[in-house]
Amino acid sequence: MPLFRRPRLFEPAGSKGFQVRLAPEARDWVVSLADELEALLVADTEDTRRLFPTAYPDDPERDAGYQILAREQLIDDRREAIALMRTTVTRSHMSVEELGAWMRIVNDLRLVLGTRLDVSEDDDELDVDGPDLESQLIYRELGYLLSEIVDAMTTTLP
Amino acid sequence: MTAPIEVREPDTDEVVEEDRPWVVIVWNDPINLMSYVTFVFRKLFGYSEEKATKLMLDVHHKGRATVSSGTRTEAERDVHRLHSHGLWATMEHDK
Repeated sequence: MPLFRRPRLFEPAGSKGFQVRLAPEARDWVVSLADELEALLVADTEDTRRLFPTAYPDDPERDAGYQILAREQLIDDRREAIALMRTTVTRSHMSVEELGAWMRIVNDLRLVLGTRLDVSEDDDELDVDGPDLESQLIYRELGYLLSEIVDAMTTTLP
Repeated sequence: MTAPIEVREPDTDEVVEEDRPWVVIVWNDPINLMSYVTFVFRKLFGYSEEKATKLMLDVHHKGRATVSSGTRTEAERDVHRLHSHGLWATMEHDK
């Protein structure tokens, strides 16, 4: 048994899925961000362009066909995942499917926020004097949360 | 009496085009976590950790990687699954 180990936010718990060690205020905070995301899904703003990428960059006609079918499905998938987040927000344990919904939405939140912040590969440092410091901090918190979820979810792969 | 069945000759160009496989490409972006991209490749395509990690590193260092190929329908399905996981995927005819 390891002597020193940082506590994981999501501990694999066999048939019960994962034990969740998130403070209530942290859970509510993530779900409130997901609520904002849900409103943005149909707003068609520049911030959400990474949620609905082009499939056929060289063929606008085929891409239009793809978008007609895919966009609605991509919105529905995200709404279902956000609904699953709301129903599991107070749970002590989450199934693989439930944590998977959290994972995809937290990633979507980073995509929207990262697009808004115009994040680049070299943006490791916080710009403490920047006007968007709060958004930068939220982006980092979500990055930590996502990496914890991915670590937990990776244990379920064959 | 049955009318003769009209046989439509296949459009040769179309057949040739559809014979070539489609490839699904994932592009680098500065937002997605490396561990997340690797996880998605393993989950969606059943790739080994080694193969998924190599593809993720190709995306990261070379800017793009081909992650699957097949008919247009298969490629479009894969693109859609990648989009639903927030990855920047496109498809094109294999050259």
